[in-house]
Amino acid sequence: MQDIEMTMAKENENDILQELTNREYEHGFTTDIETELIRRGLDEEVIRTISAKKEEPEWMLERRLKAFRHWQTMKHPTWGHLDIPEIDFQDIIYYAAPKPKKKLGSMDEVDPELKRTFEKLGIPLEEQMALAGVAVDAVMDSVSVKTTFRETLKEKGIIFCSISEAIREYPELIQKYLGSVVPYTDNFYAALNAAVFSDGSFCYIPKGVRCPMELSTYFRINAAGTGQFERTLIVADEGAYVSYLEGCTAPQRDENQLHAAVVEIVVERDAEVKYSTVQNWYPGDKEGKGGVYNFVTKRGLCRENAVLSWTQVETGSAITWKYPSCVLLGDNSVGEFYSVAMTNNYQQADTGTKMIHIGRNTRSRIVSKGISAGKSQNAYRGLVRVNAGAENARNYSQCDSLLIGSQCGAHTFPEIDCRNRTAILEHEATTSKISDDQLFYCNQRGLSTEDAVGLIVNGYAREVLQKLPMEFAVEAQKLLALQLEGSVG
Amino acid sequence: MLKVTNLHATVDGKEILRGINLEVKSGEVHAIMGPNGSGKSTLASVLAGNEKFEVTEGSVEFEGEDLLDLSIEDRARKGLFLGFQYPVEIPGVTMANFMKLAVNEQRKFRGEEPLTAAEYLKMMREKAKIVELDTKMTSRAVNEGFSGGEKKKNEIFQMAMLDPKLAILDETDSGLDIDALRIVATGVTKLHTEQNATVVITHYQRLLDYIVPDYVHVLYKGRIIHTGDKSLALKLEKEGYDWLINEQQ
Amino acid sequence: MQNAILEQLPTLHIALDRPIEGRSEQLYRVDDPSCLELKLAADARLKLLVVRSQAATSRVQIELGERAELVLAELFVADAETTVEVQQGAESRLQLTSLQLGGGVGRYVVNLMGAYAESRVNGLFALGGAERSSLTIRTNHQVADCRSYSEVRGLAGGEAVGRFDGMVYVAPDAQRTDAFQQNRNMLLSEKARIDTKPQLEIYADDVKCSHGATVGQMDQEAIYYLRQRGLDEQQARRLQLTGFADDLVMRCGCEEMCAALLEALNAKLNRI
Repeated sequence: MQDIEMTMAKENENDILQELTNREYEHGFTTDIETELIRRGLDEEVIRTISAKKEEPEWMLERRLKAFRHWQTMKHPTWGHLDIPEIDFQDIIYYAAPKPKKKLGSMDEVDPELKRTFEKLGIPLEEQMALAGVAVDAVMDSVSVKTTFRETLKEKGIIFCSISEAIREYPELIQKYLGSVVPYTDNFYAALNAAVFSDGSFCYIPKGVRCPMELSTYFRINAAGTGQFERTLIVADEGAYVSYLEGCTAPQRDENQLHAAVVEIVVERDAEVKYSTVQNWYPGDKEGKGGVYNFVTKRGLCRENAVLSWTQVETGSAITWKYPSCVLLGDNSVGEFYSVAMTNNYQQADTGTKMIHIGRNTRSRIVSKGISAGKSQNAYRGLVRVNAGAENARNYSQCDSLLIGSQCGAHTFPEIDCRNRTAILEHEATTSKISDDQLFYCNQRGLSTEDAVGLIVNGYAREVLQKLPMEFAVEAQKLLALQLEGSVG
Repeated sequence: MLKVTNLHATVDGKEILRGINLEVKSGEVHAIMGPNGSGKSTLASVLAGNEKFEVTEGSVEFEGEDLLDLSIEDRARKGLFLGFQYPVEIPGVTMANFMKLAVNEQRKFRGEEPLTAAEYLKMMREKAKIVELDTKMTSRAVNEGFSGGEKKKNEIFQMAMLDPKLAILDETDSGLDIDALRIVATGVTKLHTEQNATVVITHYQRLLDYIVPDYVHVLYKGRIIHTGDKSLALKLEKEGYDWLINEQQ
Repeated sequence: MQNAILEQLPTLHIALDRPIEGRSEQLYRVDDPSCLELKLAADARLKLLVVRSQAATSRVQIELGERAELVLAELFVADAETTVEVQQGAESRLQLTSLQLGGGVGRYVVNLMGAYAESRVNGLFALGGAERSSLTIRTNHQVADCRSYSEVRGLAGGEAVGRFDGMVYVAPDAQRTDAFQQNRNMLLSEKARIDTKPQLEIYADDVKCSHGATVGQMDQEAIYYLRQRGLDEQQARRLQLTGFADDLVMRCGCEEMCAALLEALNAKLNRI
């Protein structure tokens, strides 16, 4: 009798599975606005064109060319637990900007088509944003479209603008900090980004200033065949505080789009930066066709007593490859990494962090929750390194994997490299699945399998989701539920 | 036996003991009571030589010698035993091995021959009875996975093995149910002779029903503010410390 | 190296053309084999201690038939380099202990090829001076219903460098795998270094896999406690090292082997 019920329950689950896996990518629409493109391919001429279009000073062009020449000597890295199809870097358009019909003076003048896009995305760009207290620097393709709240921020001396604007208006800050945490020599994609980045955000919080609102950037890839190479630079000067949100979406396309961003964060003495990401770039379809290649370098440098906290919810992209890291240079500095990485269908993710302990009494904490479903591959890769001078360094790492279905993979590749005997480092990892008992228990209490899975997964990811600012946490929960519920069989 | 004079001690630059005066003679039992944070455990740690604390002033004489000059282990070998409030777990090291080493170190210090395996086993069996300790416990790692009661029994078992001149028992009664409390306290009483002395640090009068003190001291803000006989403990249990503290101010 | 117990052990002589049969309770030893092929027939049992006292490279290939049982230890007293590959048949059992007391490179690859096979591969390195140890343990769960258990401990003093590279691989369909991997390390000096990678690669969902790794130092509280009981600082430290290392060796699966390994370990710990 029980067996029959179980079989029926299984069949039911299969129906639900069917129904949910058929759900399509919600943000898969394209915006029909006029886009300014440059020719396909990459050479010095293209870089000169990008620099010229952005009206950059000569020194910036020189930097780009230097990075490009270095990039040409580099090989595509192969160490990730990823199956990356060969990328033809000459078949990519490196610059696309929506053509504004005229200079924008106020919110009302923003292209209505563009506004509708943002509305569909659920970005609160309009007046209600004031109430929500969110300042958004929205990046569509490569150019910063509209920046809000700049005036309010300006009163506090906070600079929040596109990186292109910062290059023109704050050259001394850019020259001091750009490339100081992630030099162009760092890796293949950092070099490429340094050569071709078209836009991104710049944020500077002056000494002792606590940024009164959460700063937010929304990235979105729109034009077909374009790569997005945004560059973000955040500088929290001594004693400053800022919470920064980054959200990413991309429309649905058959071909793969390349996204190779660089985020650099400088956390000066006694300062604190929280950086939160919800990444739901188009992951490709159920057959693994299309989707974004997300190859990102994110790194922060912490001086004395500084705190840098990375929180990420990664649900999108066909291939994700990123390791938001902390260089704990100053004594007593703290680095944190909280991550939920979810893969379904044919997605691949290789993500994690590096905590480099250099200063004394430095502390770091890593909490990584991987969720694999469908035929996806999900890997945590991490490094905790304690240098000889890092007296009393502490690290705690917890890396958990949840497998949903028997055709996916969940992997853990941590490394601890300790050169100081006063360090105390702990790493733990577990692998589990959603058990039939858990589902049965929830079903028995009247929950559908679909709800039960959502509940269990959100519970599993809770420790990380709690670290997100409210608005993001809600969105992240929805995203997880959306992409996961149907995976149970 | 023990003479503490104007003892001041700090931890991380913060002064915890601010001039303790205390004299303990052979055959005596002293109880030290006082509200949380008054410095009771600090006093015990300083006497044992815990390097976290720094003595900034005062002196301590033990059996006619300057105690503060001695290393932790030499204090122990001379007969000072500290029963820990939180006995430390030492994974992988069996109780039996650990105690054998400790007993023989003490014998070496006194110029005695080490015990043979047979003598040692016999001694262990005898002493384990005092606190109704299952001898199987001695094959387990020191304090690892022991319950609260087992840890405290184990402390008194070690005290029996090492036969100290002066035993300082730091909150030995905390976390014990009524049966364990009886066993531990009776064990301490059995070990008490005219040649040794016991200092018990406690929050509760109930321990003193078993271990009857000759003196009860009240420690407050790093000083002994009042000394009385066993009736003081009963009064404190009933009325708390406020009346004494008010008297101070 | 002086080791009274080792001296007495008979040397194993293997006929290369046929597998070892029968259940033997005798512990054998082999000294510095450059190439060793061991085949245990179904239901066979063997206990073997391999001593590495020369800085040479070697390769060991082992096949365990159904229900076969092998208790194996490799004792490194010199900076040797070995690769040991084990194929385990259904319900076979492997208990392997690698003890590195003079540096060395040990690579152990265990393939669980038959259901209900069980492997326990433990390793310990105790290093001082400029010694370097590298221990790689890769356990491949190729089929369902196998268990693996692996514990590695590292002690590094002087300017020593200890590395652990662990991998538990669970193949697609290797359901109901039960795998555990733990690595604990203690750094004893300012210039010593530990580099550890405890890794999992999992392609099946109904599995119980976990791993942990720690790097720490002597427990100062424990040293205080031991000194309060009359042990001097040296003894207190030594006792902690013993506590850290001994029980892993004691689980090597054979009393005589254990005695021989402990004797070697103790001699080494006295020198760190």
